[in-house]
Amino acid sequence: MLRSGETFEIINLSKGEAGFAEEIKKMGGERILECIQCGKCAATCPLALAGFPFFNKRVIHAILNGLKEVLLNDISIWACQSCNRCTETCPRRVDPFEIMMAMRRVAVRKYALPATAIKGIKSLYDVGHAVYLSEAGEPRKKLGLPEKPPTTVADPEALAEVQSILRKTSLATLGIIPMGEFGIFGI
Amino acid sequence: MKVGFFIGCNIAFNRPDLEQAVRYTFPALGVELDDLEGQSCCPTWGTMPSIDPVGWYAVGARNLAIAEEKRVEMITACSTCYGSLAKTAHKLQTHRETRNRVNRLLKSIGKEYRGTSRIRHVVYYLYHEIGPEKIKASIKHGLERLSVAIQPGCLSLWPSEIQPEKEADVFHPKILRELCEVLGASAPPYSRILDCCGMGGMRSTDMEKSFILVERKLVTMKKELNPDLIVTGCSSCLIQLDTAQEFLQNKGKINFAIPVLHYVQLLAVCLGAEPQQVAGLARTPVLHLLNKIREG
Repeated sequence: MLRSGETFEIINLSKGEAGFAEEIKKMGGERILECIQCGKCAATCPLALAGFPFFNKRVIHAILNGLKEVLLNDISIWACQSCNRCTETCPRRVDPFEIMMAMRRVAVRKYALPATAIKGIKSLYDVGHAVYLSEAGEPRKKLGLPEKPPTTVADPEALAEVQSILRKTSLATLGIIPMGEFGIFGI
Repeated sequence: MKVGFFIGCNIAFNRPDLEQAVRYTFPALGVELDDLEGQSCCPTWGTMPSIDPVGWYAVGARNLAIAEEKRVEMITACSTCYGSLAKTAHKLQTHRETRNRVNRLLKSIGKEYRGTSRIRHVVYYLYHEIGPEKIKASIKHGLERLSVAIQPGCLSLWPSEIQPEKEADVFHPKILRELCEVLGASAPPYSRILDCCGMGGMRSTDMEKSFILVERKLVTMKKELNPDLIVTGCSSCLIQLDTAQEFLQNKGKINFAIPVLHYVQLLAVCLGAEPQQVAGLARTPVLHLLNKIREG
């Protein structure tokens, strides 16, 4: 029940986007139509425990109702821990983890992604690591390690390989990294 | 015995003391480490998996291909790297078309994924490959009278279907507990043993909500076990449980501090490593405890 002064948003289901579930299937959430909304995934989800409005079960529900705009305007999917509790417990083998990823893939194509995600993606392209601290050299040296680990950060040829792969993926169409030399490959 | 060391971003740049712990522990137990030169990010969930699955698998497969060329398996102390690379390997082994597309991308850089290597989690590697008996026989300092709360790390447990190595019952994990007990510590279960620490996508998206989870976890450990130490199998859990405590203390949310270590750091000290070298970057003080362990 609403207290005085509180409001709630009315969602017009007839305005849902037809074909949204099909789009999710193409993006990797192949078994979304198997979901019976039993809620086992929600019972294990860290997003639900922490109080995010759209955890696995509700994301699937919103997709099935075509509520793309609602999901694009909410940050929850980016807080998914990818912990795979849901995928472990789902009795219908829906693989909610893949549906969360598919929803993110839809969101990035609408440029609906948080700045922290852009930072990680850019870092993956620039140095080959999603998490990178340029000031890590000093503490590494103090521990007796080489300033740079034996990864793409210490090996320009290896980095060029990773960058070459990334430029041939749909990442190259998003304007975060340089455009692909071989055009758009899609997913 | 030789194995490839997949370091992982968080360990290389945030907790290189854990990298040093791996570099100490494995040779001390007779396992030579290969650096897998040119390795990159696994890559993790917020990047390629959220954009382009074939691109995700291709970056992962390039890492696996480096290990294949050297004819070694890979170990990681990061559960996210384990999860991402295990999912990649599983997809490429079960989905021929995806594997062909990935190999077309790899061919352009002169590489190929053959499926002859695999990613192994350090906790499972130590348990299955070295074994509790040999670990027990190798340690110089025991942990008698030490009480430990364990935090296995989500992706070392789930999804069990695709993992090369796993617990017998993934909702009642025992391996990390047993590995702590082998060192002489007690490692009893507690009610929130399976709860997520809140690191990862949640922490970078909404730190306050992420700290709801870590606070609940820490308070439960304190109330039920009052442990001397938290031991985890995952570098992300290590960073979250270690760095959140100072923040929660300053906010008046907790009035205690429990030192946090990755299992490999603890094992390194038991094998004779200098605490500063293998755990010197902990934010929640731990060196006093480790020095005491060394004194016996």
